[in-house]
Amino acid sequence: MIKLVDVSFTYDGASSPTLDRVDLALGEGELCVVVGPTGSGKTTLLRAVNGLVPHFTGGRLSGEVLVDGRSTREFPPRELADVVGMVGQNPAASFVTDVVEDELAYTMENLGLDPEVMRRRVEDTLDLLGLHDLRHRPLATLSGGQQQRVAIGAVLTASPRVLVLDEPTSALDPAAAEEVLGSLTRLVHDLGLTVLLAEHRLERVLPFADSVVLVPGRGAPLQVGSAARIMEVSPVAPPIVDLGRLAGWTPLPLSVRDARRQAGPLRERLARAEPPPARATATDAVPTLARLHRVTVRFDQVTALDAVDFAARQGEVVAVMGRNGSGKSTLLAQIAGVRPPTSGRVDVGGADPAALSASALVARVGLVPQDASLLLYSDSVAAECASADQDTNLPPGTTAAMLERVLPGLPVDHHPRDLSEGQRLALALAVVLAPAPPLLLLDEPTRGLDYPGKARLVGLLADLAADGHCVVMATHDVELVAQVATRAVVLADGEVVADGPARDVVCHSPVFAPQVSKILAPEPWLTVQEVRTALDVEPVRG
Amino acid sequence: MSRKTLASSGRRGLHPGAWWLWAGCMAGAASRTTNPILLLLIGAVAVYVVAARRTSAPWSRSIVVFLRLGLVVIVLRVLLVIVFGIRLPGHVLFTLPHIPLPSWAAGVSIGGPVTAEAILQATLQGLRLAVVLVCFGAANSLASPYRLLRCLPAVLYEAGVAITVSLSFAPELVMAIGDVRAARRLRGRPTRGFSGLRGTAIPVLERALDRSLQLASSMDARGYGRRVPVARGARRAATAGTATGLLLVVAGLYGVLVAGSLPGGGIPFVAVGAVLLGAGLATSGRRTNRTRYRPDPWRGPEWIVSASGMAVVGTMVASGILGVPGIEFVIYPLGPPTLPVLAAVGILIGLVPAWAAPVEPGAVSIPDGSTTGSGDPAPQVGAAA
Amino acid sequence: MAERRRVTAVVRLRSRASILLAVTSVVGIVAFAWPLFLHGTSTVSQAHSADAPWIFIAVLPLLLAVVLSALAEGSLDAKAIALLGILAACGAALRIPSPAVAGFEPVFFLLIPAGRVLGRGFGFVLGVLTLVVSALITGGVGPWLPFQMFGAGWLGFGAGCLPPAKGRAEIWLLTAYAAGACLLYGTLLNMYFWPFGAGTTTQFSFVPGAGFLHNLHLFVLFDLTTSLGFDIPRAITNAVMVLVLGRPVLAALRRASRRAAFGAPVIHEPVAVTGVPPDRGAGLTGD
Repeated sequence: MIKLVDVSFTYDGASSPTLDRVDLALGEGELCVVVGPTGSGKTTLLRAVNGLVPHFTGGRLSGEVLVDGRSTREFPPRELADVVGMVGQNPAASFVTDVVEDELAYTMENLGLDPEVMRRRVEDTLDLLGLHDLRHRPLATLSGGQQQRVAIGAVLTASPRVLVLDEPTSALDPAAAEEVLGSLTRLVHDLGLTVLLAEHRLERVLPFADSVVLVPGRGAPLQVGSAARIMEVSPVAPPIVDLGRLAGWTPLPLSVRDARRQAGPLRERLARAEPPPARATATDAVPTLARLHRVTVRFDQVTALDAVDFAARQGEVVAVMGRNGSGKSTLLAQIAGVRPPTSGRVDVGGADPAALSASALVARVGLVPQDASLLLYSDSVAAECASADQDTNLPPGTTAAMLERVLPGLPVDHHPRDLSEGQRLALALAVVLAPAPPLLLLDEPTRGLDYPGKARLVGLLADLAADGHCVVMATHDVELVAQVATRAVVLADGEVVADGPARDVVCHSPVFAPQVSKILAPEPWLTVQEVRTALDVEPVRG
Repeated sequence: MSRKTLASSGRRGLHPGAWWLWAGCMAGAASRTTNPILLLLIGAVAVYVVAARRTSAPWSRSIVVFLRLGLVVIVLRVLLVIVFGIRLPGHVLFTLPHIPLPSWAAGVSIGGPVTAEAILQATLQGLRLAVVLVCFGAANSLASPYRLLRCLPAVLYEAGVAITVSLSFAPELVMAIGDVRAARRLRGRPTRGFSGLRGTAIPVLERALDRSLQLASSMDARGYGRRVPVARGARRAATAGTATGLLLVVAGLYGVLVAGSLPGGGIPFVAVGAVLLGAGLATSGRRTNRTRYRPDPWRGPEWIVSASGMAVVGTMVASGILGVPGIEFVIYPLGPPTLPVLAAVGILIGLVPAWAAPVEPGAVSIPDGSTTGSGDPAPQVGAAA
Repeated sequence: MAERRRVTAVVRLRSRASILLAVTSVVGIVAFAWPLFLHGTSTVSQAHSADAPWIFIAVLPLLLAVVLSALAEGSLDAKAIALLGILAACGAALRIPSPAVAGFEPVFFLLIPAGRVLGRGFGFVLGVLTLVVSALITGGVGPWLPFQMFGAGWLGFGAGCLPPAKGRAEIWLLTAYAAGACLLYGTLLNMYFWPFGAGTTTQFSFVPGAGFLHNLHLFVLFDLTTSLGFDIPRAITNAVMVLVLGRPVLAALRRASRRAAFGAPVIHEPVAVTGVPPDRGAGLTGD
């Protein structure tokens, strides 16, 4: 169905090829996951299937890309729209119309289909993706998961044979991600579509994958194979694969069910070993850096927060979790004083953050928003660091030094918007951390971040907590929470549903438990590192 | 599905083209008379229809803006006449001090006797323009711009897409401005004053430009811009039609300006030329083979509304041609206005859309993103306020 | 041989589009300034002089549609359309504060750099579309719209015709253009409003048949009394905004134009002519 034959591609003005002699063949009805570090060329590979590379981006392509027998050499992307459907990273940015039903029909209008055919297919797609009660809604009012499904539906109405998705679940909470992946699997199994998707959060996708393409980047050859075979050798792997390699399970399990079947002996060993060390939770003696007292936030008839009590203490790493729309971002915005609450009191370092001046605010709290580029204003990384030093009256070079610590080796003359997600996040972190605010707020920090980047972030946050800073992060990345959080707060519908040590809150929840926890339940293990430490220390019994 | 069921399952509410046609006819009728009774009648009819058939959408309040604008025009006209009017004999109301201006002012002088006839004439000409504006306001209030875009002919498809993109993006722009300002404060930078403006405007622009690239790749991947090769004969015919139409229009306009040079004052030439241009446009529209999903139907109510508009302008034009007294209000000698019956009855026919046009279901308010309607439409009570 | 496709400007002005644009511009100028061209003093011309503005208002949109369709033919791809739509939305957003403060209409400060960076055809279409979107958003589609569309279109077109310059010279050039063009825009719009505003009964009204220069003189006086109070602040506002914000806006637009790769060549290397390329052993599916 998809065939790449000796494909090399170089962007216009680039010094080295992004894709180098790639060979790939995917059959019908296959769900294939493309993995690899950031900047390795995954997006370019996906766009080559569609024809966007090279027709839209410009550049030099050699070799042949064949989709359902059509070559992208003769067929530009618009002529391939009835065979390949592409959903980009940000579905909201790809909407052309304003209502769900019209968006679903847009592709078919371009293809010139009959109105009766269009009407039938729209109804079918609404049913297939569970969107029929959303059909008249304006697109701007949908949640992230709903937008993703509408974007998939919008390309599905053209009855393509291939679906290409770029990071479909990165912005979604676990439940919405399950819905989307479930829909995709249903499409593969019921309709025989070929689905090619790139994803960083492998733990969600791997159970469904038929084959995996590993793009190591930097000119190394691609590796293609079944998921189990590639995961044996892949440098980027989800916790379940790390655990499988550690425990020596063969064949390597990819889903929690398969892992639990093989995990019996490991669980017994761990039951006899030292329990994992408790993460230091702050007692009441430790000073509070931020406190919310019965804060209610209401806008436009929507109650975002309802009488919420919250306190953040020195040395804590607090994870705020919940569905999209449960109030996580609003909570962070309240601590940062973005707007005053409708009722209740917010206290940061002894003052109301909404009333503080900008410079006083920066000295107390730093917030990295979901879109890190909101904080970046200059033309180059070096200029950004210099202006950050100026804004906060720091000696010149402080921000650059912090950037070296966060992400060494970032090219300083790049435009901030041209950087990858991880690089942008690193720059925003450096800018926010340079004045060393005691309280750091992060909103969805791991969106678009690959595993090495996440590991670097975890190390940085652990160092900050050890230094006495407090970190509050709103996230639905349960693996991040498992690795670094000391305390977890769960929000739902604007209310606090759970607030306690991370291990207690997260371990036994079906939605928020990390993979290791699900595999080794009822033992309270959160990460592979904890298991490794316990196995090393455990005395060998006869 | 048969075509009939397709059409009946289309959107409720009158086709926006029918509203514009009706309003255009009312405006045309208003521009042919200076009788104050007829003008006020036309204005009242337009306002009544708007009150009867408007929705809760944000554009439905634009008639108020146009009413205010009309008042401003009348006041401006009257002021100009009081200060700078051409002094003709009549019933003098009051006299302003007369100040002749220097010679470079082409003999204009300020002040002098202000007559009732002059004020009345200025008021009536201003009133005529104000009523035309009110008719435009009625069309703005009743016709949804989004539905109007959907009805654009195929030849303007690119422009229509660009406008749709703009209208969908505008509310996000407002949100982006809020986000960028909040983030600026987090960086410790001022949000007020001049550097605040610069620091907010440029990032918003950059985000908008990045967004346009993502949108473009998505549009490309979804088949935007597929073209059908047009037969050479059709293309030649389209070019010839456009060229001829253009020539006729230009000639006709010349005839309008230079009186007596062309028969009929050049208007028939302009009309024929416009038709040819339209035909040329329609032929070049065939270069895309886009279809429309659930196009707005043009059925009975649309025909009725259009016919009522035609009746209004038709009776007015007929009255003018027949020389019915009272259409042009006579200033000299000053006397009470008469009521030409035919034209008045014609104007009252313009009330028909208040009952003939179907009621729009609860409108969805797009710019602030909230939805007040769902699949089940609740009948909108015609708020006669 | 490798195929090459090179696109130079965002919106190419082919000869057909250029001719249509020229003719429509001439009609547009006449539409604005028809009182200056009116001949004859008979009562027939008086009657027609009342009709003339409405005839122009009806004809101008049709002509604009013809020009837009000619410009779009084959030349407006998805990138250009998306850019047009987004920039038109930004420009329309700039017009929203203007009714509150008389004369403060900074919409052109975005149009002028856009015309400069992206070309004159793009500038014309952007001007037209910005005014249409602004009218739709504010619910103000009135008889002034065709004239505003024309004026803004010429403004964008003119910005694309400016001579090349770099750095500070470019900013000063654009500032001077902004000031002059905005004044001209204001004057032109006032010219179309002249018959409506002054009618036939003031000393500023046009006198049919009195000749081009005399009517022009009368118009200048009318302009001085009525709209200069709006035109001058508008021209100053736009010029100051171009002067101060021009450089970052130009940089952002140039960067967007580069990233969109409007001019980047799309090169397909030829397939090896020795038949089907050999299958690679490693890397195909299957264990």
